[in-house]
Amino acid sequence: MSQTFTVPVRDLTKSGIPTLADIGERLRGGAWAFVLLGAGLLGLGLVLQAERGWGNLLLTTFNLACVGLGGLFLLAIQSITGARWSDPILKAHRAMPALLPRAGLLMLLLWFGAATLYPWARPDAATHEALHGRLGWLNPPFFFGRVALIFGAWIWTGRRLTQQGKGAAPFILVFGLTFSVANFDWLMSLEPVWSSTIFAIYGFSGMFLQGIAIVTISAIVLRRVGLLPAVSKAQNHDLGKLLFAFSCFWAYIFLSQFLLIWYANLPEETGPMRLLLQGRWMPLFYLNLILNFGLPFVLLLGRKAKTSEAVLLATCALLLAGRWLDLYLQIMPPVLHGLTPAFGLAELGGILLQLGLGHLSCWPVFMKDANPAQELPQGG
Amino acid sequence: MATTELRNSRFRASFTDPEQLLRAVAYLRAAGHRVLDTYTPFPVHGMDEALDQRPSRLPRACLAFAALGLALAAGLQIWTSAVDYPLIMGGKPLLAIPAFIPVAFELTVLLAGLGVVASFFLVARMRPRWRVPDLHPGANDDRFILAAELATDVQFPAVARDLADLGALESSLLVEDRFQRGGSFWDRPAGVGALLLACLPAFLILLLVPVLNRDFQRRNLAWDGGMGAPLSAQAFDASGVLPGGKVLQAPPPDTLSRRGEPPLAYGPGKAEADRAGRELPNPYQPTQARFNRGKLVFERVCATCHGREGDNNGSVIVARGAFAPTVLVSPVVRDMPDGRLFHIATFGGPTKMKGYGDLLSREDRWNVVLYIRELQKAARPGPTASTPASTGAQP
Repeated sequence: MSQTFTVPVRDLTKSGIPTLADIGERLRGGAWAFVLLGAGLLGLGLVLQAERGWGNLLLTTFNLACVGLGGLFLLAIQSITGARWSDPILKAHRAMPALLPRAGLLMLLLWFGAATLYPWARPDAATHEALHGRLGWLNPPFFFGRVALIFGAWIWTGRRLTQQGKGAAPFILVFGLTFSVANFDWLMSLEPVWSSTIFAIYGFSGMFLQGIAIVTISAIVLRRVGLLPAVSKAQNHDLGKLLFAFSCFWAYIFLSQFLLIWYANLPEETGPMRLLLQGRWMPLFYLNLILNFGLPFVLLLGRKAKTSEAVLLATCALLLAGRWLDLYLQIMPPVLHGLTPAFGLAELGGILLQLGLGHLSCWPVFMKDANPAQELPQGG
Repeated sequence: MATTELRNSRFRASFTDPEQLLRAVAYLRAAGHRVLDTYTPFPVHGMDEALDQRPSRLPRACLAFAALGLALAAGLQIWTSAVDYPLIMGGKPLLAIPAFIPVAFELTVLLAGLGVVASFFLVARMRPRWRVPDLHPGANDDRFILAAELATDVQFPAVARDLADLGALESSLLVEDRFQRGGSFWDRPAGVGALLLACLPAFLILLLVPVLNRDFQRRNLAWDGGMGAPLSAQAFDASGVLPGGKVLQAPPPDTLSRRGEPPLAYGPGKAEADRAGRELPNPYQPTQARFNRGKLVFERVCATCHGREGDNNGSVIVARGAFAPTVLVSPVVRDMPDGRLFHIATFGGPTKMKGYGDLLSREDRWNVVLYIRELQKAARPGPTASTPASTGAQP
């Protein structure tokens, strides 16, 4: 039979062992602190430097939405393929879409910052040469109408999928269309001069990789607190293989986009890319490659590494940092108008907000059908 | 023979569920039978542990082949592009790593994939056969099969009953493997013939190419009103992102320049050619160096059609009647002014010759004009008029 982790049998009458309810209480307090502190820092950042503040809010929002979508997409493909290897960890998938409504609300907040972020939302947009003939699509009312529509579609199809287990195939279709529009609208229109037809696939590769990373972290952590007792080394191995494969996939798509721009050297495409390849953004550009591909490739190459919880957790942490940096490099250069990169209050606030909201959204779903009085396994 | 000894001691059983298969394997092993292998439509979790198999060593072969592919691809590209024949392409550095990645990646994956499959066949001692020995047809569909060998002193019917209790659809003793006898042609290992047969579909697809060819000249429908079309920057546009605020950039170092020559004050066409003939003198005097240079350029570029002596003899085109070029040592060309010849070298002749203004530097074109004059001096004035295949005064 498949190898399971040994969890020592505890004497249940013994007191002093924290229960699930205890740890939930403690984590909830911490998450609220993260949310409030993050929101405060982000607000402070908005006051200090509006561009950076709004840019970080967009980053936070988009990343949270991607986490929700990552869970949904994994759930959908496992439903379509009739996968059974993932049965013990489906709870981790089902929790992630709970983030989507919150991300949608945050995204609508950007209405007030649209003019700071997007050139097409500024009063002088009509004179912008690159926007000529495009303002019919890129204007605030239509843009935020699409935002509402897209989030509505995600939340509705997501509910059906997570709660009734229905509509996986329609979700994939809806997802393909809406996620492409979302990437082109929310991120690529930050720099109207620059365009890339593979942009949405690039966004998808990062989103999917991040989704697997979060499922992996959730599966490991939830197994340790006793919420997913059926998880075995086999699931870890499968998740490790997925992480390894989709890290390579991300690099493949990254190169597919980068190589053509680098080779053709067309002024309209190379201009914005130049910022990343030269000057102060360059280290971040290479760090992005190392975090999302280089280190995960080396760390997960061996078979033993793919089943080791410590290696998996470390790799997932690297990948989450890499995903944040990847989005940072897509959003910040045009928003900051080519200024030097910076990490400060606004960035920290955005990250705290993501962590806090992520926990607050997912934990109740994890706890569904669980016994709050269940005691934590010790030394598991 | 081994096969006769094994007769009636091996059996198979089929199941509909991987869990039943796992339980059956555990039961058989506990009862002392030897489970030979299991055959399933997909990898069953926990089967390796249930069969107590060692981890496969194939990943090591995979890694070795992948490293070999990477080394080959990287080595070949770096050596040819940067060491053996260094040539600047498109303003990129000689050691242009991003350009090498696709080939390196593909070769790594190719060798890893082919290598690990070949290693697997080798290790498993599998060879292509015309007819594949099939333990149970359902193993490729929706059945989970196991093959095992009876423990000594155990009768099969008892085991079959136990297996049926564990959910087996059927179980049966295996008769002697007729494939090991190699009786008919189809039971023998297949050789090169099978390989060629496997390639047949590829050849058939090649036949379809003319049918599938589409008109690449036709433009696609702009369903989005052209919004998806990229905004292309023009050479003399201003740019907000490129250095110097303009699109046109200084060429990379070591680029061969046109030596900053001012634009030529003449355009193509007959009138311009005549004007050049009237106004444009050769700015250079004949010297030995110019003669040598002109001879070099003439023999490399012009002699292909005009012949090394300018008399069409030995040219690739001499025998082609209407395509024959003008004889350079003919009186018509002798009488043309230098400027007119230079104009033809730059923009081409009125009928067939193409202009070489974008390939040869201005100085070289003048050198060629000087060299043509030397050719005309050297040629005997008599026979040129009767040289065959001249189309007359058309340069």
